[in-house]
Amino acid sequence: MAGIRGTLLPVYVLADESHSMGRHIGELNRGLADLHEALLGEPMAAAKVRFSILGFSDDVKQRMRLADLRRADRLPTLVTRGRTNYARAFADLRRRLPHDVRALKAEGYAVHRPAVFVLTDGQPSDDGWQQELARLIDRRITPEAPNIIACGIGAARPETILRVATRPEFAFVALAGVDIGVAITQFCSALTRSIIASVPARNAGPPRLVVQPPAGFSMAIDVV
Amino acid sequence: MSFDGHTHWGSIAVGTPAVDFEPRPADTLSYRSDTVADGWSTGELTVRLASVRGYAHRYAGLPRQDDAAVVHHPASGAVVFAVADGVSAAPLAHLGATAACRAAVGATVRALDAGSPVEWPTVMEHAAWQVVEQAAAALKLGRPDPERAEDEMATALIAGVVHPAGAGAETAVARVGDSAAWVLRDGRYRALFDPKVAVIAESAVTALPRMPAPDVRGGPLAHGEVLLIGTDGFGDPLGDGTGPVGAHFAVRLARPRPPIAFAHDLDFSRETFDDDRTLLAIWPRQMS
Repeated sequence: MAGIRGTLLPVYVLADESHSMGRHIGELNRGLADLHEALLGEPMAAAKVRFSILGFSDDVKQRMRLADLRRADRLPTLVTRGRTNYARAFADLRRRLPHDVRALKAEGYAVHRPAVFVLTDGQPSDDGWQQELARLIDRRITPEAPNIIACGIGAARPETILRVATRPEFAFVALAGVDIGVAITQFCSALTRSIIASVPARNAGPPRLVVQPPAGFSMAIDVV
Repeated sequence: MSFDGHTHWGSIAVGTPAVDFEPRPADTLSYRSDTVADGWSTGELTVRLASVRGYAHRYAGLPRQDDAAVVHHPASGAVVFAVADGVSAAPLAHLGATAACRAAVGATVRALDAGSPVEWPTVMEHAAWQVVEQAAAALKLGRPDPERAEDEMATALIAGVVHPAGAGAETAVARVGDSAAWVLRDGRYRALFDPKVAVIAESAVTALPRMPAPDVRGGPLAHGEVLLIGTDGFGDPLGDGTGPVGAHFAVRLARPRPPIAFAHDLDFSRETFDDDRTLLAIWPRQMS
């Protein structure tokens, strides 16, 4: 790694554009606009994020790729179409993420683990998506495996949303009347801070936690 | 030192600078300075040290979680140092960093006083336990609790000693975590520890009070060389030193500059590099 240009967090919004989302698509588009505005108000976070928007139904349509939102005038809009094919969406990410990480590294950046926001009513019309999801999030198969935050919209099935999220605390079901754009913005901002923040490596195996004072230890330091 | 234009902070831009703003105060109960600048010389060695709050912490109103300590051991002529990088997920990491540095330097000096070889696992263990004790005191726990200490005060630590030797010096450096050390000579940086080479920049870092066997490196330091000890806030933008940040420091570290200038140099602004930064530089002095 020569003198690197920066460390970036690739963020993906993977939005369900199937017909069953029809009643919510306007709300999602307003939410994306709010997200854009909110990130512009967080310049330290915005500088680190590269933003992609993918609409999925029977296939995946790339609406925006690795954009620096500080330089985007407006975000693309989502449109409803077709059915809800999760397998295609996860397979697309499994090809896309390694490609995007390589592209950013080729530009001289170091790259944080990608974050994917899945916005869906949680009613996939395909089978076999669980296997595709498992391959996507297995870091041995996909070193660029993302953190997935799943946001259930409308009559979302909680069990599906929980299965898609990579951690239970990354699973949300939007309540009626909650502004989904504000909710995503708050989560995106928190995620930018928390993913970039260093955390203790707890599960690394051998390193033990010191559990007793060493011989000759003296407690003569007051740092508070 | 020059401050161009009407900026809030007057940092030196390296490439595209971060957004310019007036920092917020650190949200801590006890005072924590934004910047530390120190410097002095012994007969054989010149020291410069700076620790600066990262732009993200300045923006968010959080304290500088890095810290450092560097002392002279007159009987041996050695310079003893420690540099810590508090883990940002730990709310009191700044206290852990300070405690670890002081304990590591104290344990190293005691070994030198006793004329014993410095046992780096023992030094790290003293630092780790100091973090546990400080957490118990700060949180009023009643008894030491290593797991609570890890949650609240975890910190990476790199510590070492530089002994004058002939026309130069002999160095030993030990670390737990991802702070690092380099020898700079004629604009080229030689890393003492293996560089980070992951596909993804991971945020998990090994930190005290967890105790792996410390990674120990060292060797001779010749006249014309400078030993650099830095947290990843310095090491990440430096990379292998062949980029603009490497060039920025190669010029400025060719010889010791005033401590305030040294801190200003470290506080350069470069977009997305907003972590706390600590840098210690030690030069063997020219003997007349």
